[in-house]
Amino acid sequence: MSTFKQTRRDFLQNSALMAGGLAVGGLTGMGAASARAKELNILCWEGYNSAQVLDPFRESTGATIRAESLTNDPTMINRLRAGETNIWDLINVNNPWARKIMYPEGLIKPIDRARFEPYFDKMLPGFKPPYKWAMDDAGAQLLGMAQRFGPYSFVVNTDKISRATAEDQGWDLWNDAANNGKYGVQASDDWNVFDICCIAGFDPFREHTDEEVAKYSETAKRVYKGAKMVGDLATMNQALVSGEIDFYLTGGTYSCSPARADGALNIRAVTPLRGPLEGGKGGISWIEITSVVNNPDISDHAEDFLEYVQSPEMSHTVAFAEGTFNPVTQMGNSACFDLFTKEELDIIQWDSLEEEMARSVEYDIVPDYDKLLDVMTAAKREVSGG
Amino acid sequence: MSVLAQIFRPGMRHALPILVFLLGGFAAPLLAVIAFSFVPSRTFSLWSDWSFDNYVEIFNSSSYITFVWSLGLAAATVAILAVICYPVAFGLTRVFGRYATLITLLFTLPLFVSENVRLYGWILIFIKNGVLLGTLKSLFGWEPESIVFTHGLTLMGMVYVYLPFMLFPTTLGVSMVPQQTRDAAFDLGASRWQVFREIDLPLAMPGIVIGFLLTFVLAVGAIAEAKVLGGQQIIPITHDIEIAFTYAQNWPLGAALSVLLMLVVGTLVLIVLRRFDLDAILGRR
Repeated sequence: MSTFKQTRRDFLQNSALMAGGLAVGGLTGMGAASARAKELNILCWEGYNSAQVLDPFRESTGATIRAESLTNDPTMINRLRAGETNIWDLINVNNPWARKIMYPEGLIKPIDRARFEPYFDKMLPGFKPPYKWAMDDAGAQLLGMAQRFGPYSFVVNTDKISRATAEDQGWDLWNDAANNGKYGVQASDDWNVFDICCIAGFDPFREHTDEEVAKYSETAKRVYKGAKMVGDLATMNQALVSGEIDFYLTGGTYSCSPARADGALNIRAVTPLRGPLEGGKGGISWIEITSVVNNPDISDHAEDFLEYVQSPEMSHTVAFAEGTFNPVTQMGNSACFDLFTKEELDIIQWDSLEEEMARSVEYDIVPDYDKLLDVMTAAKREVSGG
Repeated sequence: MSVLAQIFRPGMRHALPILVFLLGGFAAPLLAVIAFSFVPSRTFSLWSDWSFDNYVEIFNSSSYITFVWSLGLAAATVAILAVICYPVAFGLTRVFGRYATLITLLFTLPLFVSENVRLYGWILIFIKNGVLLGTLKSLFGWEPESIVFTHGLTLMGMVYVYLPFMLFPTTLGVSMVPQQTRDAAFDLGASRWQVFREIDLPLAMPGIVIGFLLTFVLAVGAIAEAKVLGGQQIIPITHDIEIAFTYAQNWPLGAALSVLLMLVVGTLVLIVLRRFDLDAILGRR
């Protein structure tokens, strides 16, 4: 026998009340606690998306964290430009983008100097506050946090070419026809634009004349024609270890660290002693800056995550997260430095890190990048056509 | 019947969800790519002045090289696979008997492993001091030149990766040839060559043509083989498209290249389909 005593009219009335209540409750709920209270989205280079880095933060906050890893800066920046500022909370890219592009274009927002500058105080000497790449042009706003960094010029097998020879010859290694077939080119096309400029004998980080572009084009064809292969960093390291090639561009501690971690300490990142870069420097270095995206509905955890990865323990984890291994700015703090074993310091070439950074200019925006990239892509294509 | 009435016929009404799904999931992205190909270079908004500039840029560039590589490699892959797969398909259908299932399984198994992993596996085998050359060196002191990062290995990789896509339709085609027809031909004095040319091949053609089309379309879109095994000695059109969408951030150019590729491949497929009416040879009309 049925025990349902409600009339149809009662049922409809109650349903309407419940629906109304749910709607109001939902709205007030949204007002009281942001919809993003339990969510954090990070657009980053690999490492920050690893379980070692994210899981402890997930456990402590209960938040759902999505981290997408990409391997070039322009793609990440353009995803924000294409309207994804309402998706991402943090963006982790190389140094010039925050200050020169993302902040002026309103893609990121400043973070609290009082809260974050004390962390810069504990960093290695080159990163003390106010750290240029973390600040806006006026030097008033803090735009992000610096963490991983490293020199990034080329990598050699020191059993084939000694470190001293490679440092001394520098970019001319690619101007010596005798080296054709002995080197590879890592498929890192933005950095290859810089390196081909260096091989051609001029600074990449300024406007170039038509004569320079013509020379750049000829150099790009020559470099790709002489390359044994073009591939990702795993292929480059494998080819170096196996003896297929003796050296490759572009590369640095970031790219050769997996081979060194595997015991191949003869695979070494090299920074030329001299070169065509500002001040006669021979190498280029990168520093990652992680910024808060100008998301209209920013996650409550965005700045907390920035602080979380600055702790000595987490900094060490970030340095040795899966994929590649890199020095971190927090190594200036003995509480962090002491966590690194001798083997780990060998992997990231700590012995020469300071002098290599000193011989490098910092990664910057190439004003005519689009033109140079198109010339290089065409050169690669034409070389492939014979 | 009015248009509205036609739309609201029960059949159409029930097909509506899948129709909406197809329009949203299949047609809309395709239309977006086509639309993007007309917007100014290196911009990200569809609502700007449309023009054919991206197409003009492609026709004035050396992009034809990458088109030729992709189409040439795909054609070579199809040709090589046709020669390899027909005898194997014939064997699976008429010779291997109870072992046919096991052999089919062996051909299918690699599909369960990611293509990139399989290609890197080949690198480990062929690279200097790798599985093959390292073994030859240690056992016989013989050190031949390595063949990694060459055009030949790129083609080998494509043949290897796309083999199942040619083999299984071909096997289907060969199995459609009635044994009685072959027996009758032999009884009437036909030679093996005549049976092959006049019975086996024409009757298996639906499967072979499907294999051709499937393999060709997939192979034109190949990128990993040239990247991993070929060390980018060959730049296929797909690589050009990838560069446009990533490092160059020139979505309109990448979209125009994609549209041209679709047009070229679509035209080639239509030509083949006009020559071989699949419906007719499959006996549907």
